Order: sequence, then C-alpha cells, then structure tokens
Amino acid sequence: MKKVIEAKHLNKYFYKPVEFHVLKDIDLSIYSGEFAAIVGPSGSGKSTLLYALSSLDREYEGEVLFNDVELKTLTNQKLAYLRNRSIGFIFQFHYLLADFTALDNVMLPGLKLGELPPEELKEKAMQKLDLLGIADQAMKKVNRLSGGQQQRVSIARALINEPRIIFCDEPTGNLDSKNAMVVFDMLKNLTREYDQTILMVTHDDSFSSKTDRQIQLLDGKIIDRETP
Amino acid sequence: MNRFPILKIVLTHLTSRKRQTIVSMLGVTFGITVFIFQAGVITGLQDFFIEKTINSTAHIHIYQDKNQKSPPVLLDVYDADKTWISVPNIKSKEELPKLKRGLQIVEILESYPEVTGVSPSLSTQAILKLGVADISGIINGVNVRKENRLFDLEQDMVSGSIIRLETVNNGIILGSGLAESLGAILNDNITVVSPGGVALQMKVVGILDTGLRDLDNNRAYSSIRNTQKLMNVTGSYITDIKIKLENVERSGTLAREFQSRFGYTAEDWKEANEGIFSVFRIQNIVTYLVIISILLVSGFGIFNILSMMIYEKMNDIAILKSIGYTDVDIRNVFLLEALIIGFIGGLIGLLIGFVFSWITSIIPTNIEGFVSSEYLNINFDPAFYLLALVFGLVATGIAGYLPAKKASKIDPINIIRSQ
Ligand SMILES: Nc1ncnc2c1ncn2[C@@H]1O[C@H](COP(=O)(O)OP(=O)(O)OP(=O)(O)O)[C@@H](O)[C@H]1O
Ligand SMILES: [Mg+2]
Repeated sequence: MKKVIEAKHLNKYFYKPVEFHVLKDIDLSIYSGEFAAIVGPSGSGKSTLLYALSSLDREYEGEVLFNDVELKTLTNQKLAYLRNRSIGFIFQFHYLLADFTALDNVMLPGLKLGELPPEELKEKAMQKLDLLGIADQAMKKVNRLSGGQQQRVSIARALINEPRIIFCDEPTGNLDSKNAMVVFDMLKNLTREYDQTILMVTHDDSFSSKTDRQIQLLDGKIIDRETP
Repeated sequence: MNRFPILKIVLTHLTSRKRQTIVSMLGVTFGITVFIFQAGVITGLQDFFIEKTINSTAHIHIYQDKNQKSPPVLLDVYDADKTWISVPNIKSKEELPKLKRGLQIVEILESYPEVTGVSPSLSTQAILKLGVADISGIINGVNVRKENRLFDLEQDMVSGSIIRLETVNNGIILGSGLAESLGAILNDNITVVSPGGVALQMKVVGILDTGLRDLDNNRAYSSIRNTQKLMNVTGSYITDIKIKLENVERSGTLAREFQSRFGYTAEDWKEANEGIFSVFRIQNIVTYLVIISILLVSGFGIFNILSMMIYEKMNDIAILKSIGYTDVDIRNVFLLEALIIGFIGGLIGLLIGFVFSWITSIIPTNIEGFVSSEYLNINFDPAFYLLALVFGLVATGIAGYLPAKKASKIDPINIIRSQ
C-alpha cells in the first residue's frame, strides 16, 4: 500500500510559557485508503500531531513527508496548492464562511483549483451535498443551518477537490450523540465506498473502535498497538 | 484562477459592515470633492486671468530699459580686480527713454509674417481734473486702430467709441475705474496736466472696462500726437512698441530675436507677468497640500476600517488559507476592498465636485479682485477629474496595502489552535 504521509522522528516543542516537549520522537505512516484514528487522553498531543501531519504546523523537528515531499521544503505558494489539491480539513467547530451559502462554501476550494468550469463545479458541489443528505440546504446561508448540517457542509467542502487525505479533529465533538453518529457514519462510508483516506482525532472509543486502526497517544508518545 | 470567489468575498465583507464602509467612502468622497472644486476654482481663475492678460498685454513689448545703466566710466580707468569703485546717485529718469528709429522698427516688424499686429505708443503720468476732482493716471498715446487690433479695445468699451479718438480733436478714452473716481461721463470735458506742466483740455469720447482692475483704475488713451504735446516732444517720439503674434508660444523665441536685432529690451508676456505666475505657483502648491492632507486623512480612515475588518475576519482568512488560498489571494481581497472603497467614494466625489462647481459657475458672484467678472470662471477640464480619481485610488491603495499585507501573513494554525 502507498504511503500518503510519513513522519520520521517527529518532535515538537512549545517554548511558551515554559519549554514543553509535546510530541516525542513520533514515527508514523498513513497509507492510502486507510481510516485511522488518533486516540488518547486530553492533553496527550493528538491535535498537535494532526496539525503537524496536515501541513498546518511546520514548526517541528524531524521529518513529515507528504507523497515523499518534506513539508518544510515547500514554498508558501506550493503549500497552498498542496492544501487546495490534496488535503481536506474538518474541525470540531464548523469552520465555514458564515456569510456564504452552503453551496458557495463547498465550491470555494474548487474555484481556487480552477480545474472545472464554474457550472460543472456547481453540479459537482451539489452532488457532494446530496451525498451528505443536505442538497435541499444548498442555497441557505451556513449560519442558518444546524450544527450537524454545518458539519456535513464541511465534509462536502473537504471532498470537493477529491483530496488524497482528509484530516479531522474531533469532527463529532460539538454534536449531540445522534448527529455525531450520522456524521461518523458518513465519514466511514466515504472510506468504504470511495476509498477515501481519513485521519481522525477523537477521544470517543465507540467511534475509534470502528476505524481500521487506532494510534494511541500518551504524553506525546505512541503506545505501540499498531497493525499496519 | 477564477476571480469570482475573491470578488464575492470582497463584496460580502463590504456589505456586512455597511456603516464603516460608507464612512470610509465618504472620507474619499470628501477629499475628491474638495480636489475638484478647489482645483476647478483656482485654475479657472488663473486661466481667466491668463486669458485676460494675454488679451490686454502685448505678446512682446519692446522698450529701452532705463534701469540698464551703463557701467561707470571710472571702470575704464581702474580696471584692476582689486579696485573698489563706488559711484553713488546714478540717475534714472521718470519716463521710458525714446526709441530711436522707433517708427522704422515698427515698419520692419510689420513685415514679419508671424507678427499679426504692431502698435507704437508712448505714455506719461498725468493729473486728470474734472471740477474739484483730480486723479493721477497714465495717459497712453496710441494709434487707436493699431492698438485696437492688438487688444480689441472696442469689445471692452462700455460707452462711446474708439474711432472718435481719431475724429474728435483732443479726445480721450478713460478706464472705467478712472472715470468713476473722476465722476466723468461720456462727452465731459476734462483737463489733463502733464508732469512737465503742459495742460490740455480733452473730451471724454469713450469709457473702457477690461476687467483688469489695475488697468481700469489708471489707464487712459489718447492719440500719439496729443500725448507728445503733453510731454512736449517731437512727432517721431515713441517709447514702446507692442507686438501681437500669431502664436503666443513663440513669444519667448521672437522676443530674443528682436532684442538682438534692434538693441532694445524685448520682453515677452510671461516675463512681464512673472510675479503673477509665481503667485499661481504658490497657489497650486497650497491647493495640492490641502488635497494631499485630506486624502491622507481619508487614507487613514481606510487603514482603520481594514485593520478592523481583518481582526473580525481572522476566521475567514484562516479558513481560506487552510483550503488553499495563497498569501497573494488574501492580500488581494483586502487590497481590492480598499480600492473599491476608493473608486466608488472617488466617483461620488467627482460627481459632487462637478455639481458644486457647476452651481458656483452659474451663480453671479461679481467678484472684485485683481480681476473682476460677473461669474466665477471654473475649470471643468476632464484631466482634473481623471487626476483626482487616480489620486484617490493611489491614496486608498497605499492605505489598503499595509493591512492587506498583514492579513496575508496570518498563519491559520494560530487561529485554529485558539478555538
Ligand atoms: N500553543 C500552545 N502553547 C503551549 N502549549 C500548548 C499549546 N497548544 C497546546 N499546548 C499543550 O500541548 C499539549 C497537547 O495539546 P493538544 O491540543 O495537542 O492536546 P489534545 O490531545 O488535542 O487534547 P484534547 O483532547 O483536549 O483536544 C497540552 O498539554 C497543551 O496544553
Ligand atoms: Mg485536541
């Protein structure tokens, strides 16, 4: 199986307010088509690890390779293209442009990429919204949608450019249990039906147990339970 | 890349903060309005004055400069560098000296194809008396037909006619201000006394109003012959030759040519009005300073609103960057916001400025300054309007660039972490 992301001797420190070694010598690979979960207690460094792997945080020591390219070597321009082309993000707090409609939000990464003419892109965005069961909300401004609906718009947006990998940081953390279930099942469905690679941070065991692989983090170290 | 999302983001930002957007637009509008109005009025006045001046001064004026004193003869004896020579009281005469061969020079000048009119003249100070009033003025002795060809006196006559200067013995045409202070009206008989003590009875055959205050208050015209009588000189005595050219722009070049050919001072009209032009230059500097300071203030307004906007839209910036928008895209969003504020504010400013100028130009003002006219002459030159808009855009562009640059430097990780 092809490696999408590989971390080698990844170390991360925070220097403020006091020096703090958050990630300790992490070696980790995520493979194409995998549905992996990072789990661990609060404060163990799950989010920090996800940010480093997903190109958001490049102030680390060691190496993070995305398709065999070390992230630190990318210029800002190339980094933007990588995020646009190959990465989807879903965060705990629905991370959408509040003044825009659901459809506009989904189209934004596609418009930046510019591979499809706007009309076709719009159609594709509608398909993604339909896939997530919210096609009827397309023309509503996102701040008029419920939390669960907004999170589904985020997923549709993450999907629009068909990225190599989607990073999620507690995508269900802000939802009630019913909606959390719906969103999780949709993510899982994407990995099963469309072979989408997903790396998800969660501290909910009932979800992580349904993924292909759990990466256990404790005090910034991976506790070996890996089954590659 | 498709421009749509950027433009859409820009418009959403601008409309989501309507009040600030409008206030900062008004800042630009105010600046541009003042620019248009002030520049229109001031350059309009200047153009009006220049036109009047061109019409009432000669393009080239030939005379003998009485201030060009010959160097003291003592210098011929003591020519060593180390010698100090002091000669007090070199005399300078009251009136301009005679132009020798003056009338011949006039004939030569008339044969130049570029010269459209030549008018020989002489002038003297005189006291004009009517009843108990006596006023000092300047009597210009002219050939009235020739003078008219140069200065279109006929057009400025408020009563009487220029031709009566030739038909009436001892006729005189008074400037309007002069006539008013004398209390003289058409066909009054006045007494004119020269500094040399010669007195002439003269009949007012016309009153002239040029709109140039200084001229109207002092100037009177009479025939060359009568002026020579007043000055007690012979029939060939003239002191000035005034020349009108086909093309005003050639006045400098031709003035230099005439000066070397005839050996007298030949001054072109710009030189003659040097003082006024330096006043204009100062006026223009003041105008630009005022405009620049207003634009500075409106630029600061834009800087403020954008800085606030960026603070509020931190989240949006982080989102856009995390989904692949580049630093340049983000910078363009905010720069475009500034430019749109500048452009719309500027256009409105042009419109209001135009309306103000237009209203001002149709209200009778009867200003009395060094020029008098019934209406303010206002410059509506489109080049101003273009310049004003460019000025506005440059100012807002600069004001927008700094916050825009700052926005483009925002790292999304800092915003995502803090959630
Ligand atoms: N910007 C920062 N500066 C200093 N310390 C930080 C910073 N961000 C996180 N930390 C610390 O690093 C550690 C790991 O944080 P992180 O957010 O990765 O934890 P987490 O596993 O995601 O926790 P949670 O499950 O609560 O989200 C924590 O102890 C946290 O206090
Ligand atoms: Mg976390």
